[in-house]
Amino acid sequence: MEVKKILPPILILVLFFASWHIGARIYDMAFLLPGPWLVAKTFVSDFNIIMTGLGLTFKAAFIGYIIAIAIGISVATLMSLSKIMERSLYPYAILLQTVPVVAVAPLIVLWFGFEIKSIIIISVIISLFPIINNTLLGLKSTTKTLVELFDMHSTSKVTSFLKLSFPAAIPHTIAGMKISAGLSVIGAIVGEFIIGSGSESGGLGVQIIYAQADLETPLVMALILTATALGFAFFTTVSLLGYFLLHKWHESEI
Amino acid sequence: MIVISKVSKHFGAVQALEEVNLDIATGEFISIVGPSGCGKSTLLRIIADLLPTDGSVKKPNKGAFVFQDSALLPWRTVQKNVELLMELENVPDKKEKARQALLQVGLDGFEKSYPHQLSGGMKMRLSLARSLVLNPEYLLLDEPLSAVDELTREVLQEEIHEMWLKDKFTSILVTHNVAEAVYLSNRVVVMSPRPGKITHIVDIPFKKRTPEIRSKPQFSQLVIDICEKLRVREGNTAWK
Repeated sequence: MEVKKILPPILILVLFFASWHIGARIYDMAFLLPGPWLVAKTFVSDFNIIMTGLGLTFKAAFIGYIIAIAIGISVATLMSLSKIMERSLYPYAILLQTVPVVAVAPLIVLWFGFEIKSIIIISVIISLFPIINNTLLGLKSTTKTLVELFDMHSTSKVTSFLKLSFPAAIPHTIAGMKISAGLSVIGAIVGEFIIGSGSESGGLGVQIIYAQADLETPLVMALILTATALGFAFFTTVSLLGYFLLHKWHESEI
Repeated sequence: MIVISKVSKHFGAVQALEEVNLDIATGEFISIVGPSGCGKSTLLRIIADLLPTDGSVKKPNKGAFVFQDSALLPWRTVQKNVELLMELENVPDKKEKARQALLQVGLDGFEKSYPHQLSGGMKMRLSLARSLVLNPEYLLLDEPLSAVDELTREVLQEEIHEMWLKDKFTSILVTHNVAEAVYLSNRVVVMSPRPGKITHIVDIPFKKRTPEIRSKPQFSQLVIDICEKLRVREGNTAWK
């Protein structure tokens, strides 16, 4: 049973590395398409650079992610409690999603400087909408009879919110957080791209720019894989949190 | 005593209820039967103050509503679900009262289970226990047994009857099932649709209700009579 579950994705991974390896052999231009082995060796030889980059990117993405979760849940709560708030804020929450973040990033950097602050803000902008949208959906997803039950027995809006709407929203908020997990890392990398050489020491995005300029393609690939792993780690952490909170009662985790 | 006077209700241009008047004695068990769309659930919600009305409803202070879908909180255990309404109304000794209520409905041993682990019948027992633990003076039941299978349904009817005998709360049951109404009630109220109004009130004369009365000719005759009244009304409105 367990083997049957794990085997398919592992098979795909092996297939991916094998074709990559063969492709690199046939193409035979390491500075354009380095094979997986060369990338692995680079990962070891440039370990310090990669880890420094990872640390900085992790810091910006993580802070941005946490801020996005806090703002997202608060804004969604505000919107669910007041129709006027929802009507006035929701259209602009959508704009957050539709604005091309890559295009706005230079402006953010102009305003907030060539520092981590700007990277965090870009990360927040890109990861905010899924959390607002899903939490709002969750807060409104309570069934009619449960709302009636609370109307009959509870006089306080706060109690109804804490004991009914909020727990009902948790599965939806978790789903939003899963979407935003990868986005927060993407936001941080975009921010670092824009800052580029303007910063003193660079995160993964900055290192990618440097390595690309030096035609160090194996390092570029090692950095990309590291950034991917970071987003994946965020996602996995949230998935575990979701499992921990929901596996006893919610159909998505039972 | 519950006094319903001149209760009518419009939803936009549609008249859902037209001047419903009904007095229900303290401790009485009333059932409301009628075809879909006759406003019987609306009437129940008006009595519970969940919907506004032009008329008036006088009733005791403490009441509870049992919903068709059990209305349990899926993230709470059985124990925590029974405690919910006591929590909302600041009733003391929640734990002990919940324990007794679970024992009464045969859900002791399931305290740590979650609603999704229970059968439909168990969910409804839990929902009943959650309401009865408040010692309500009146209980409003909105098709509580429509989602359970036929065998469980009869067992639960008997259990509801036992609870009513024991606690003597005034009850108003809305149901599609005429036999259920006859089995449980002192009086059965027949309603007609569009606009919903009371057409007949049938007295049910049984002194003692045991499962055996279901097979008595008198029982069957009452069910047939009430079904006849429902059908005639429907025929008339369709023909008009």
